[in-house]
Amino acid sequence: MIKKINLIFVAILFIAQQGMGQEWLVPEDQKTLKNPTEYNLSNVKKGKDLYLTNCKSCHGDAGKNNGLPLVPPPPDVTSDIMQANTEGELFYKITNGRGGMPQFGSTISEDDRWRLVNYIRNYNPANEPVLVEAPPQKAKLLASVNETEKKVEVFAEVEGNDGKFLVLANASVSISAKKAFGNLPIGEVLTNAEGRAEYAIPKDLIGDEQGLVNVVVSLGEGFVTDPVILDAAKVGQPKQVPKLIKKEVLWSTNENVQTWLLLSYLGAVGGAWLAIAYVVFQIFKIWRVGKQQE
Amino acid sequence: MKTLGSIGAAGVVGGSSFLSSCSKVQTTSGDKIRLLTSSGELVEVDKEQLKPADMPSLTENQKRGRKGLPGRSWVMVIDLSKCRNARECMKGCQNHHQLRPEQHHINVLQMQDAEHTAPYYMPKPCQHCDNPPCTKVCPVNATFKREDGIVLIDNERCIGCRFCIAACPYSARVFNWFEPRDAEKYEGVTYNIEANVPQKKGTISKCLFSADRLRDGKLPTCVSSCPNGVYWFGDRNENAVTNGTTKETTSFSKLIKENAAYTLMEELGTKPRVYYLPPKDRAFPFQGEIEDHHS
Repeated sequence: MIKKINLIFVAILFIAQQGMGQEWLVPEDQKTLKNPTEYNLSNVKKGKDLYLTNCKSCHGDAGKNNGLPLVPPPPDVTSDIMQANTEGELFYKITNGRGGMPQFGSTISEDDRWRLVNYIRNYNPANEPVLVEAPPQKAKLLASVNETEKKVEVFAEVEGNDGKFLVLANASVSISAKKAFGNLPIGEVLTNAEGRAEYAIPKDLIGDEQGLVNVVVSLGEGFVTDPVILDAAKVGQPKQVPKLIKKEVLWSTNENVQTWLLLSYLGAVGGAWLAIAYVVFQIFKIWRVGKQQE
Repeated sequence: MKTLGSIGAAGVVGGSSFLSSCSKVQTTSGDKIRLLTSSGELVEVDKEQLKPADMPSLTENQKRGRKGLPGRSWVMVIDLSKCRNARECMKGCQNHHQLRPEQHHINVLQMQDAEHTAPYYMPKPCQHCDNPPCTKVCPVNATFKREDGIVLIDNERCIGCRFCIAACPYSARVFNWFEPRDAEKYEGVTYNIEANVPQKKGTISKCLFSADRLRDGKLPTCVSSCPNGVYWFGDRNENAVTNGTTKETTSFSKLIKENAAYTLMEELGTKPRVYYLPPKDRAFPFQGEIEDHHS
């Protein structure tokens, strides 16, 4: 009887623990930690960059509720579940992780983790948002490659309020090279007051066998434009294609056999047959001599 | 007897011409047909424009499968600090290559290098060695090295001697002891040497870097199914690798230099094509159980 009660007790304890597992408990002393970094634009911006590289792949874009369908679901930054946390709780959860959520204690510095908290707080209704994302603007991007000087020349325009296109100054333009499975970022430039920018392509950029590179030019976020793809620009180093398979190395079959191996093998086999033939011939000779003497 | 032979030959010729006429769709202009595209859209196409899909024949398939993709040199980089044993790579791989649950082209192992060191998870595919011991022992030239670096196996040639299993120091090869998974489903499907599908009982199978997907310009199955950004894959000749999860592309030489990458059992001189980044600054704690074999 006591055993049974014990069992039930253990079962209840187990279930209770499971239930608690759903909720993410943070130690009391961690909850009330104060954020040592200031809630300002530069910290929130840095936090956003960190968010984009480390968190976005699961939590999705802020406010779009497009996180990955995992169990438990990674909440959106703007959601009540996320914002109900104190700053200390957010910091603890980012640091230690749980289940599918990585522990960033080992990969992101303490200051940067607090900056991430700042970024999350940017979407708290109680806070004045410091980072306001303007609706993306329509923009035009023109680019060409100067093959002799190995430069990419860019000209950017943005649509003004009256629908006319104006010169886009001081915008960051990223330049990348198309590779087998994605675009390799090679550099960024800012446009000048005339909306123009020049980017010198690094000398060690590898193209295809002829040195041709597909250069992709695109504007940073905040602008709606199609990236410009400059096909087959002769600005890179020709790709070296070292011959991988040496015939001698992989010799398991006749067509790949090495000459010395083939000759020594045939020599050995031939030698063996010759030896046998010699013995047989000698036997025959003895037999003949014996016959003559009879 | 001779006449019988000529009748037979005539029959074959007639039969083949009849067959080839079958593969052409009857042309009646104006007739529309509804089709579902691979992207899931329902489209209407004129019946005249229909042509049978271009499927390479077995011999063609075997021929091009031996050559590899020109100018490429595939490499994989596995970031051990990101792996948390989600085993999505294994699942994706087993679905792609028709493998039974106990067969692995890629396997996530629990590792501990020495007595007091931290245990970690290590996905282990075929290392696609540049100096492969397995291809040299094959007596029938069924397994071979391609010019783009992939070590492949032709199940149509394999006689099941399992010499290559004995030769491989990485235990990368599996043998089909039983009827393969979903054997009925794949019955009559033309054998694809670049995917080892359909699998054949009594032959060897191994990781092939999803050579069929590479031909289509896609990342290997394991690489694109990883949820944690463990795998980088790309062309060593153009010095760029792409992460399967984040789709970020980076310089291969920089990645392996900055993170002190290593290859498995380098001392054997096999020259593997799979590089490992050490399990440092782990994103997830190790949750497995490791038996203490070191004391």
